Formats: sequence, C-alpha cells, structure tokens
Amino acid sequence: MVGIFGMYAFDENWEIARFVYFGILGCQNRGQENAGIATFDGEKLCRFADKGMVEEAFKNDEIFKGLPGWCGIGGVSAFTAENNNFIPPMFSERGNVAVSMNGKIINCKEIDPQLSEKTHGDMKIVANLLEKSLEKNDSVNAMKEVMEKIRGAYSLVALNKKGDMIIARDPHGIRPLVIGGHGFDLGVISSESAALDVTGSDLSRDVKPGEIFVFEPHSIEKDDQTFKNRNTHYCAFEWVYYARPDSIINDIHVHEVRYKIGEILAKENPVEGVDVVIAVPETAFPFAMAYSKVTGIPIDLGFVRTGRHLRTAIKPTQIERIIGVQLKLNPIRNAVRGRKVVLIDDSVVRGSTLRNTVYLLKKRGAKEVHVRIGSPHLIAPCPFGLDVPSQDELIAKHNTEEEIAQIVGADTFAYLSIKGLCKAIGMPQEKLCLGCFREKYPVYDY
Amino acid sequence: MIIKVVLMTNVKVLLIGGGAREHAIAEALVRSNFEPKLYALMDVKNPGIKRLVEKSGGEIVQGKSKDPNLAAEVAGKFSVDFAFIGPEEPLFHGVCDAIEDVTGIPCVGARQKPAQIEQSKAFMRRLMWKHNVGGRLRFKAFLTVQDAIDYIDEYAESVAIKPARQAGGKGVKVIADVQAYLSDEKKAVKEKHAQAVFEEHMKPYDDIEDRILIEERVEGPEYTAQCFTDGNIVEVMPLVQDAKHAFEEDIGPETGGMGCISGKDGVLPFITAEEKEGSIKIVQQLINAVEKEVGEKYKGIVAGQMMLTDAWGPTIIECYSRFGDPEGTSVLPLLKTDLVEISEAIIGEKLHKINFEWEDRATVVKCIAPKGYPRRRNLAKDHPIAVDIKEIENLGGRVYFGSVSEENGQLLTKGSRAVEIWTDGENIVEASRKAESCIPYVKTLDGWGLFHRKDIGSPELLKKRIELGELQRECFKYRKAKGLVGRRIDWIPGKGKLEYVS
Repeated sequence: MVGIFGMYAFDENWEIARFVYFGILGCQNRGQENAGIATFDGEKLCRFADKGMVEEAFKNDEIFKGLPGWCGIGGVSAFTAENNNFIPPMFSERGNVAVSMNGKIINCKEIDPQLSEKTHGDMKIVANLLEKSLEKNDSVNAMKEVMEKIRGAYSLVALNKKGDMIIARDPHGIRPLVIGGHGFDLGVISSESAALDVTGSDLSRDVKPGEIFVFEPHSIEKDDQTFKNRNTHYCAFEWVYYARPDSIINDIHVHEVRYKIGEILAKENPVEGVDVVIAVPETAFPFAMAYSKVTGIPIDLGFVRTGRHLRTAIKPTQIERIIGVQLKLNPIRNAVRGRKVVLIDDSVVRGSTLRNTVYLLKKRGAKEVHVRIGSPHLIAPCPFGLDVPSQDELIAKHNTEEEIAQIVGADTFAYLSIKGLCKAIGMPQEKLCLGCFREKYPVYDY
Repeated sequence: MIIKVVLMTNVKVLLIGGGAREHAIAEALVRSNFEPKLYALMDVKNPGIKRLVEKSGGEIVQGKSKDPNLAAEVAGKFSVDFAFIGPEEPLFHGVCDAIEDVTGIPCVGARQKPAQIEQSKAFMRRLMWKHNVGGRLRFKAFLTVQDAIDYIDEYAESVAIKPARQAGGKGVKVIADVQAYLSDEKKAVKEKHAQAVFEEHMKPYDDIEDRILIEERVEGPEYTAQCFTDGNIVEVMPLVQDAKHAFEEDIGPETGGMGCISGKDGVLPFITAEEKEGSIKIVQQLINAVEKEVGEKYKGIVAGQMMLTDAWGPTIIECYSRFGDPEGTSVLPLLKTDLVEISEAIIGEKLHKINFEWEDRATVVKCIAPKGYPRRRNLAKDHPIAVDIKEIENLGGRVYFGSVSEENGQLLTKGSRAVEIWTDGENIVEASRKAESCIPYVKTLDGWGLFHRKDIGSPELLKKRIELGELQRECFKYRKAKGLVGRRIDWIPGKGKLEYVS
C-alpha cells in the first residue's frame, strides 16, 4: 500500500516541501517502510527518498534545501523497495516526470515485462508511459492516453517539467483520492482527507472514479467525461483497516463505519456471560466501543504499547510482525485476570500475531478469550495493491472458524459477515471491491 | 452649489463605467417608465452598453471614466439630468464632485470624501473603531514595508494582508496560520506578500498615506449586502454571495468574483433574516459615521462585503462604495421599482418614500474568463470572442458584457472576466442548471481556453456553505450567551489575565 500526497501553489512565493512532508506524515498509516518527496521549482524536478518512516527519512533541514519549489508530491510505501529509485515518488526513465501512485496496474507485463517484475515496477511503468505521452499531448490528454492503456487500481499524482500537477483516479475508483484547497493559494491532493487536516487544508471532495485533474500555473483543467459511468468498486478494506479513523473515504466517515461494524458484530456473534470487551490496539478500538455499547459488556483497556506506533499488519516480514505485536501489546494484568474476555481485532491474515495475542491474555490470567473480527474472512490475495500475502498463507482460506479458534487458542472465534460489512459501509455489494473476502474480483469494463 | 431637480419627462442619464455591472445598471435604467435617453462614458466600448445606449437614442463617449474633468464635460455637453457612477475608481478620483460642483448636475454615487470608506481600508477600519460600528476587526496599518515585516515577524497568527487602498480587489492575501509546525513557511509567504503589496499593488497610488493593512483573519460564509442610500437611510437589496476562488471546489487564487447566487425572500440559504437585519444595521452605522467624519452625506450605492463570524455574527470584511461586480448583476434584473425614480429619491433624499419591489426569484450569475485570469491578465487579453446572445436568451439567460471591447466589429477579451451569464429560477440549483446550459454559447474564436465555475449554485457547494454557516452561528450564539461578543480573553502564564475589548 502507498499513501500519496500533492500540494500546488498558484503563487510562486510558497516553498512547498514542508507541507508535503506533513502531508505524507498524515498518510503514514498507509506505509511505513519508505518515504519520498519530489518538487518542481520552475526549472528542474528535485527528489529525495529514503527508507524508514517519514521522520526518519527526512531527518534534517539540509534535505529540504534540496527540495525547492512551489509544487510538490510525496509518498509513503509499505513494501521493501528494490532500491532508492523505486521509492515513490518515482522518476520516469528520462526524469521528466515524477509519479506517486497508490494501487496496482495488473496488465504491466504486456507493457514492460522487465519492469513489471520489480516491486512498484508498475509505478515506474506509468511514469514512463506518461513521460512518453507528454511529448505529444497536453497533460490532460497525456493522462487520458495512459489511462486507456493501463488496467487496475490506481490513484496517482504526478509532476512534470512544465509545472503541471497531474491527478487521476482509476475508472472503478478502487483506491481513494481526495482534492482540497488551502486558502487562495494552494490546491491539495491526498489519499486521505486526514492529511488535508494535518496541513491545515480544506477538503473539497473525492476525486471521482475516472476523473483527471491538472493543476496548471494559471488554471485547473479537468476531464470527468472520458471514463465516467463505469461501475465503482471502492475497496472495502480501506474502511476496515487502511484508512485513518479521522478520514472520510468516498464521502463516508471511516470512524462511523468502524463503529457500525462493532454494532453489527455484536448482533451477529453475541457471546453469553462474558465480563469485558478488549480491543487489539489501535484500529479495533471503535469496533470494541460499539460492541460494548450494544451488549452492555463493559470495555476495558487491555494493552499498553511500548515504543512508537507501528502498523503491524503491513510490516513486510513475519519476524517484524511478531516483534511489532509483542512490543505493541503488553497486557494490563488486572484488566484480564480472572475475566472472560471478548477480544476484538480488525482482521486476521496468517493468524500468527493473533495467536500471540490470545496467548498473552491467557498467560495474564484471562479465563476465556472469545475472538471477534471486525471484517469478513480474508481468503484471497489482492491484485490491486493491498498487501495481502499469497493464498497458501491465509489462515481463513484453509480453516473454518472452529479450526481457527483451536489454532489461536481461543474459546470461540467469529468473523463479521460480508453482508454485515456492506451494511456498515452503507453500500450495496456491487459498488464495492470485496475481492479479498469473496475471491471474486470486480470485472473490468473499460 | 445648485443641484438641478430631475425632470419627469425627456430624462437623460449619463452612465459612467463600462463593465458588466454597468451593463446591468444600464439595462435597469433603460427599462424605466421614463424611457430615459442613456449616455455613457467608458474606457472601452462595452458592446452591451453600446447597444442599449444606441437603442435609447443616447450617445457614447469613449474616454477615461475616472477623469473628473472629462466626466463633467460630458455631463454638461449632453446636459443630462443626473449621472450614475458604476465603478469605484471614478468615485475615488472625485468624478461626482466634479460633475456636481462644475455643472450642477446631481450624481448617484459617493463623493470623493465619503467614498474613502472603500478607497482607504485603514480609513474604514478607524472609522468603525471611532464610531463604535459593530463587527470591528482588529487591524494595523503600516507606512513602510519594514514595519509591516517586523510586525509579521513578531506575531505569527492568521491574518489578512491587504493593500491599504482599494486596488481593484487585487493584492489581498488571507493566510490561516494555525499549524505551528508550518508557521515558518507561512511567515515567509506573508513577508514576501507584504513586500509585493508595496512594490506592485500600492505603487500606482499616492492618494492615500497608509500602504498596507494587516487584519485579523476571520472565518465564515461571506455574503454581500448591497444598499441604496440617500445619506439618511439605507435600503437593502437581496443578499448575494459571490464565489471568490478562481477554480471549482473553492480552490485557487482570489478573483473579483467568478459568479454569485441569491435566494428567494432576499436571503441566502445560509444567512437568516435576523443576520440580514444585523448586516443592514452595520451599513447604516457606517453611513452615519462617515457623514460625521467628513461632513458630507453619502449618496448612492454602498455595500458591505460581510462574513458571518463566530466573534461578531455579521462582520464587515470590506466596504464597497458601489454595486459589487458581479453581485450587482445578480440583483439589478430583479428590481421592479423604477431605477430612475430611485435615483431621483437618492439625489433628493427621499428614499423613504420609495416602495421597493423585487421579483421573488433565486438567481445565479456565472462569469466566464479567459485562461490567465486572474494572475496573468496579459495572457487573458485580446482573444476574439463570440457570444450567441439569442440562444442564451432562448434558454432563459441574460448576457452581460464585462471585460470585453468592441474593436473593428470584433469582440476582444481585455484580461478579466469577459462575460457574465445571469439566470433565475425557483431555487438556486435550478438557476445554476439553467446557467450551465447557456455556457457553451460563449466561445473564443482563436481556441484560447475559457473557464467558469460549474459548482456555483450546485447542491454540494450550498451544503458546504450551510454547514459552515451553522458552525459559525453556534459559536456566535455561545459567545453572545456568555457576553463574549467583541471580547477576547487571554491568560498569559506568569502575567495573568489579559482582555482585549473591541
């Protein structure tokens, strides 16, 4: 997964790099392995990217001196990059375009077999296509031409050497993208609205599926006609896990969805005679709050974190995930000792971190542990850039709820139903991408 | 000074100014029952005004509309009954004074001294503080760039930085400085902008002393309360909101206004009748204060560019000494009362005798501008443009020509908003849809891009305005209930409580 951000000043007096820095910091939830920023200063495209969280990658003021200009894009990403050049935002082959993209292009093998093998190679492919198309087209038409060639999920923001910021969202709108403004001076683009809040900007709306925007020095160009009226398939996992709870995704408040999930979870899978509801930090808090409210079972603080906030599910290796969980989850003894616990988590991928968590609770004296998951069973990988491992690694693909309970050491175990998820989001199944839960992916009609 | 009494027959009117606003004024004048002959003095040949003048049997003089001597000469030459002044610059240059004092012909328009309420923003703010006018913002005026920069350096806060003199709406920068972690970046921009105000925006003007104004920044939905005034009472027109951002979704640089909306019952969906009353009161207080201050009555049009803020409720952000542009275009087509009669009442201080009537319709105005506006007007200039007036009128729209000039039978853009499309409807959304259907009938002939804001009058944008209005209203109610209106209480560690009373 990638978090993207772009900020564009219509007044050249602005130095934008710091804004982009705080913008990608606001997207840190979407990727914690690499961070990068590219800017344009009227002559050249500048770029800095490095491994680590945003604050680690951009560790000193010297770096910002190398990023002059009034427009800039940035990215955070969750994959281990091949090398520094493959950290978003990425340069095109000849360096005339920089692209930050969230999603996955599924037909890149046809376009560039070699690049398609690399992690985030699809982003490089898009950058190259855009660079080529810009040689003979204006920015809107260049983007249009690229969109006619590529298939998949993508929300992207790009910069060229004319000082145009190119913005596009795939025609099915799988990955989120929002647009906003900042006073009379700046236009803003981000994966999530929370990053707009962080930079003091105002959210205008979602970029519509298939919509293209171009910020130019003297205008904003738009194409919302070429790819309109395609079926939307918003990624349901954004609301469950990826997005920040203070974000609004596709005009739906994330926190509200998570709260509703908790309510529905309580109704779908009640547990009799338990003492306390505990959430696995932090995504599951709203699920647990609502679960407690509906059932009347009191909620308690079960765990305290050591060290900084890490999103364990998106760490690249198993050992990192386990270390992450162990550090993240130190149980508070008297919250669990002698109690029957409903443990709420957002999702289960391999089951290994959950097993660790249940074990910790039992070791601290929990009498019973009933696990409830705020999303449906994860049974299939995501071709659209969600970091789901291959099918043989997915616990739900190979085991029933009963079997999972035994594996993780829980007394009972239950998922949210797909119907329940759609209800919480407030959208019919056909408007969503539920591929990882159903093993059935939206059909491309473009 | 002898002022002629307006004759009731064979009325002749001189209109000064040549933009879309003046086109709308011209139209309202010629539909008077007195069937006036219309004369016009304008800098470039506005094709819309030209048509109306010719139809009425009047004449056009092309020349500097802000030249007082020329204006007096033209008024005298045609021995008009009164002059109606559209834009602010002629007022600032004393065009009314010259016409009235030299020829004895009366004017609808503020004389030079009272027009200072728009010309000098520092004058207006000082006036408000001196005479206790409601809705006062804290401000500081500066004479030198260094003083302004020193001030910015010391106080990192959300401010509006403006040229101290009205400069065609240009040069205003509003910066919300809330996130402490981005303060340095914003400070740099504020300082660069203060410099730019001195060097670019204030350079052409030596008619006032103050150079730059730094005001506290306030938030809330904006609206314009335009009023007729005879110097004694003010008569408010339907409230209008214009859209200041150049581009859709409220993004991009500040413009003179890319279009506007007005609702039925003279209010807006996000401003209550009570708030409208509060706004009128402020404008009335201003008119009274300015007479006390300069010793001359304010006669003509006055408008409060208002904002509903949490600190004051209705608050005055800027003051216009004329119709807004495009706000004037919004309301003038709705005016059922005879504008010649109103003009006479303004001149004769009998405005209280006029029974004002307006069509109860919602309206939308959409401005169409060539690409390049507002920041690179030279790029937006001299593009041939074609307007299919007939088609637009068939669709229920009206066309008002703005920054275009008729040269050798061809319409050329002049760098600003070229055409304004006016439509009406049962509600704002309906009027907006109608306006959208008219847009394709305005085209450039050289392929240069035109832009307008589709979202003006859209349900989404209205919803946003209503939400913002509610937020400010709730905060204001709290402040009112706690006796905090106009007060700001602070507590400084180690020093204690500090109160600023406005």
